[in-house]
Amino acid sequence: MTNRRYLRELLQDSSFPSFLMLVLLVIVNAILQPNFFSYQVFRINFLTFTPLILVSLAQATVILVGAVDLSLGAGISLVTAVMASLMGDSVLSIVLVVLLGIGVAVFLSLFNGFFIGIIGPPPLIMTFATSTIWFGAALLLMPHPGGYIPETYYGLYTASIGGFLPTPVAVLIVAMLFCLLLGRSRAFRHVYAVGGNEKAARASGINVTATKIFAFLVSGVFVAMAALCVVGQTATGDARSGQGFTLNSVAAAVIGGIAFSGGKGNYLGAAMGGIILGLLINIIYFANITSFYQEFMKGVIIIVALLIGAVPRLRRGATRH
Amino acid sequence: MADTVLQARHIKKSFVGVRALSDANFVLREGEVCGLVGANGSGKTTFARVVSGLLRPDDGELLLYERPVDLRSHLDAEQYRMAMVHQNLSLVPEMTIWENIALGREARDALGLLDNRAAAEQARGALATIGVGLSVHERVRNVSPDEKQLIEIAKALAKDPRILILDEPTASLDFHQVEALFGAVKLLKENGVSIIFISHRIWEVARICDRLVAFRNGETVGELDFSVHDRDERLIVPLITGREVKTRIRKSASQREREIAALQAPAPVLEIKSLSLDGGRLKNISLSLRRGEVLGLGGLQRQGQEEILMILAGYLRGFSGQILINGSPVSLRNTRQAIRRGIVLIPGDRQKEGLFLQHSVLTNLLYPKVSMHRGSFFLPTSRYRRLATEAIDKVSLVPPNPRLNVSQLSGGNQQKVVVGKWLTLSPTVLLLNDPTKGVDVGTRENIYEIISSLTAQGASVLLYASDNEELINNCDRVLIVFEGRIVKEIGAEEISEEKIVVSSLNVEHTGEEAETGNTR
Repeated sequence: MTNRRYLRELLQDSSFPSFLMLVLLVIVNAILQPNFFSYQVFRINFLTFTPLILVSLAQATVILVGAVDLSLGAGISLVTAVMASLMGDSVLSIVLVVLLGIGVAVFLSLFNGFFIGIIGPPPLIMTFATSTIWFGAALLLMPHPGGYIPETYYGLYTASIGGFLPTPVAVLIVAMLFCLLLGRSRAFRHVYAVGGNEKAARASGINVTATKIFAFLVSGVFVAMAALCVVGQTATGDARSGQGFTLNSVAAAVIGGIAFSGGKGNYLGAAMGGIILGLLINIIYFANITSFYQEFMKGVIIIVALLIGAVPRLRRGATRH
Repeated sequence: MADTVLQARHIKKSFVGVRALSDANFVLREGEVCGLVGANGSGKTTFARVVSGLLRPDDGELLLYERPVDLRSHLDAEQYRMAMVHQNLSLVPEMTIWENIALGREARDALGLLDNRAAAEQARGALATIGVGLSVHERVRNVSPDEKQLIEIAKALAKDPRILILDEPTASLDFHQVEALFGAVKLLKENGVSIIFISHRIWEVARICDRLVAFRNGETVGELDFSVHDRDERLIVPLITGREVKTRIRKSASQREREIAALQAPAPVLEIKSLSLDGGRLKNISLSLRRGEVLGLGGLQRQGQEEILMILAGYLRGFSGQILINGSPVSLRNTRQAIRRGIVLIPGDRQKEGLFLQHSVLTNLLYPKVSMHRGSFFLPTSRYRRLATEAIDKVSLVPPNPRLNVSQLSGGNQQKVVVGKWLTLSPTVLLLNDPTKGVDVGTRENIYEIISSLTAQGASVLLYASDNEELINNCDRVLIVFEGRIVKEIGAEEISEEKIVVSSLNVEHTGEEAETGNTR
């Protein structure tokens, strides 16, 4: 009987449709991309997937608490600009600048979090405003892409640990462990409560303000990880390097079953959403579609993904009250 | 004399322009159950919210355990081991039952991580004390309103409070659930817990409370100690209303018959033929409704009465059978089609399904009219305004101000707006889904007067009420629904409490089952 319950839970899980989608895309991708299941292709794919997945986790956290963050992309840009303009060749400088980059990312996110938690502007507008500030700051710091990233750093990102575990995958494993730990934490339970029903959360004795700030803090940690990966991947600082991430992360989170209204969904789904978007971009590339159609197709496929996610809800709707 | 655990002196509280509490006084002693009664808008809930720290009073003094306190938030109140069961539920629908019960005070293990097993165990224990047999792993969104209410109570009990405030805990519960709750209340009392019990159901207050305090217009107007006085409802009612209540006298069956005949309807307004719904929720339902008639749907809760109303209102699909309006078959695939045929639903959960709380009374009253508007591009605003004023008049809204936001009205007056908005369309069939849940005596009479005047003009009513008295006072006929079937029709001459209760249990058909059911 309990097995049945778990099966039912699994089928009803918010990330189940995205799992099906993921399987489908892996198949399509394997057909189009030569040697898809080889180690090399796996490694190369995850070089680009990892930042996107991490940003999706960041976005998922704030959406879960009932907010949204439109400044994620600009935040990443700013961090890359800071890092590329300060990093030197010595190990000490690399370590210091990495720590600084993490600090900046967390600070930017907390800035949003404090404002939204304490003063309470609509997150959409608040983070839109901060996104232009972060972008402006990045442009001031680095009007043209450039700066300096030593090979020690980006070489590490493209290398494999012990010869078999690509660094980006290792980063993802660390991130997922972090997610597991969060899942067992009290503060994260409160994130779901606040996103699910803020009034009920307050009535239950939950500190709503602190919970919102906590969600932005966690999001900032994921953004920091993403920014470090982007720097490793591109080896430059670029005020536009984060541009695509913002809305892609929102799409990934929603495709992965995170309810845009908050309080529903899980990290596994958001991560799958990120991979789905990555695979989409791959597929479009390997299907030899011209760049004009790439964006076009991406939009169409996202809508298809959303439709698949809506199927269980529509079926329930037939007997809805 | 037992110690005083809570005392409120001259509490005042106003919201923008509306005075909710003008002089509230209250004393709660250790280990007693004290009732708090009053009409809608008399300030009971506001008082409960002040006492539990959710609102700060404008003036007055609050003492806990004989010491003055200043509660800045509900967290402060919890420090004093006070717990409140909310009328507007404080549950998160996407979370499981045990997660909700643990919310805000989760069990943690030695590492500071959540101890889910302990929390689930606690939740199971709390549910068991009030006799609920739900799986704690179920998500709250999947359980019924009465079960939600019980979960809410379990959540308060899990805090192990010394002072417990129950704000209308029984409004959505059925007979057996109320009994189980009362059992738990008695147990708590024996353990020295002090309880404030807020309810509209006077007989409940008379039964469970040691004492009661009555509020009227935000003021404490009286007190009744049952160790001195009889547990007599007739002593309580005047305290609430400030006068003897005149209950509307039910018209005699023959008089109603003449009235209905006078409307000279050749065919039934509404006819349902062998209606069934997916999953056996309704089985072969047939009924007919004459012009001007009030037909009751009775029985235990959740036997399919609401589904019948939902189908007619165009909410549910996946049914089979025929629905005829004035003798011709119609399809009711969505709410719009239903409304166009003059079938309107007055929902049970008014805040969720009946009102736009942040909008004014005027706009709320006009939504049906506006949504059905056809023809000109611009809306005939001045005519609409007149219609709205008429509707306000007909339902005698207090205050009769169309510009007020609905959220500023008391519960009973909100319900009047829900009824009033359909008056602008002159409906032919009114579907009432437990329309007076959580509404005080005066407003209830008011709502049924409106309905009675509508039927006199030729509207027909299909009424589902969980309170049998409402069926008795208002219906020309009552159909008893049991497990999706109509098991009994009770004609005008024989409607009585006993008849309804007996038929509801469907004992005539399954006598043996009912026997064992009692001993279980």
